[in-house]
Amino acid sequence: MDQTSRPPALPDARLEARALRLERGGKMLVRDLSLSLTPGQALVLTGPNGAGKTTLLRALAGLLRPAGGEVVLTPGPAGWLGHSEGLKPGERVSEMLAFWAALSGAGPDAIEAASRAMALGHLARRPCGALSAGQKRRAGLARLALSGRAVWLMDEPAAPLDAAGRERLARLVAGHRARGGIVAAATHADLGWPDVERLDLGLEAAA
Amino acid sequence: MSARALFVREWRLAFAGGGGPAGPAAFNLAALALAPLAIGPDTATLAAAGPGVITFAALLASLQGAERMFGDDAGDGTLELYALSGLSLSMAALVKALAFTLAVFWPAPLLAALGGLAYGLTLEAALVLAAGIALAAPGLVFIAAFAGALAAGLRRAGLLIALIAAPLQAPLLVFAAGAARSAMDGTDLAGPNLMLALAASLIAGVLAPLGAGAALRARLD
Repeated sequence: MDQTSRPPALPDARLEARALRLERGGKMLVRDLSLSLTPGQALVLTGPNGAGKTTLLRALAGLLRPAGGEVVLTPGPAGWLGHSEGLKPGERVSEMLAFWAALSGAGPDAIEAASRAMALGHLARRPCGALSAGQKRRAGLARLALSGRAVWLMDEPAAPLDAAGRERLARLVAGHRARGGIVAAATHADLGWPDVERLDLGLEAAA
Repeated sequence: MSARALFVREWRLAFAGGGGPAGPAAFNLAALALAPLAIGPDTATLAAAGPGVITFAALLASLQGAERMFGDDAGDGTLELYALSGLSLSMAALVKALAFTLAVFWPAPLLAALGGLAYGLTLEAALVLAAGIALAAPGLVFIAAFAGALAAGLRRAGLLIALIAAPLQAPLLVFAAGAARSAMDGTDLAGPNLMLALAASLIAGVLAPLGAGAALRARLD
């Protein structure tokens, strides 16, 4: 991707949580969590299963109401890559990308750039139901990339990806940060992203 | 703009993954074909029962797609994406229900007209019945969508949907069948019944998407 075709820099992005308290099924998962991310920063959430990584991401996205505290995410809404990618088995990859591009006002060059970044060119005419888990992940990442959102929240972004896919993911995230975007990702695997903030929810719970 | 994009996608998905109108139409036809076997061969009885049976078959057919309308979205992560799309979930529910009505449920008035003739209704009564079903169809789907949103992602959603939707759909059933019965009996209540069916559809079109949006929002939380 050459520099001229890059999307413009993102406006002043900010992701903040103040005294955040999260409960799930009567169990306290996060207590008095405060964090603040500024343009270009990335946060990697770690912790054992059930520690509340996904719950925290959902609260940051505004999908669930925290039991206490508040979240500031500007400019909203967040770009979301959840546990499942939101793909429809009967829909072609190209149709899926065109729909989300239309919904976020992105042009054909944004679709082109996103599918090139995620190496989806040869899969464009494939129905989403015929993709492997890793390919689905890449399709979901391409959808996120063309959304034009400033703050990306990702749940296990690298889980089904092979080495080349992880490399592409790292490049995508680095490019987003370079443009002033913010990324928060929950993960078990080491993502190999440079210069990230870390938050271990397991330690948080033990403390 | 984004509502139109969503409508086009839902329309496309109705054919790409759901077989378009085939499922509910087949169900509707099967119900129409089986009911006379139970009612018996007496033509007068059959004609008298026609409007009610045919409208009821359309009502049941409207519930066919309700489980998948939001159940799939809740299961595959699409619901989160719609919630964060900038489109309100109520708007998404309205658009999805409209797309369902036009892409999947459109044969219902046609089947009603054909069924009416087969059951021995006069041509006029059959056409009034078709008009009644056409006016009631959006309402039937809106209410089915509301029930589908409440039950999205639950086990035995189908049972729950029928229990929630059927009582709310009752006015539409009464007015659509009532219009055809009036036309058959020669009373001049066919027009008012059609107007009431339309009114019930419009009310459902306002309230059901709001309810569905709230139900989906609660589902995410």
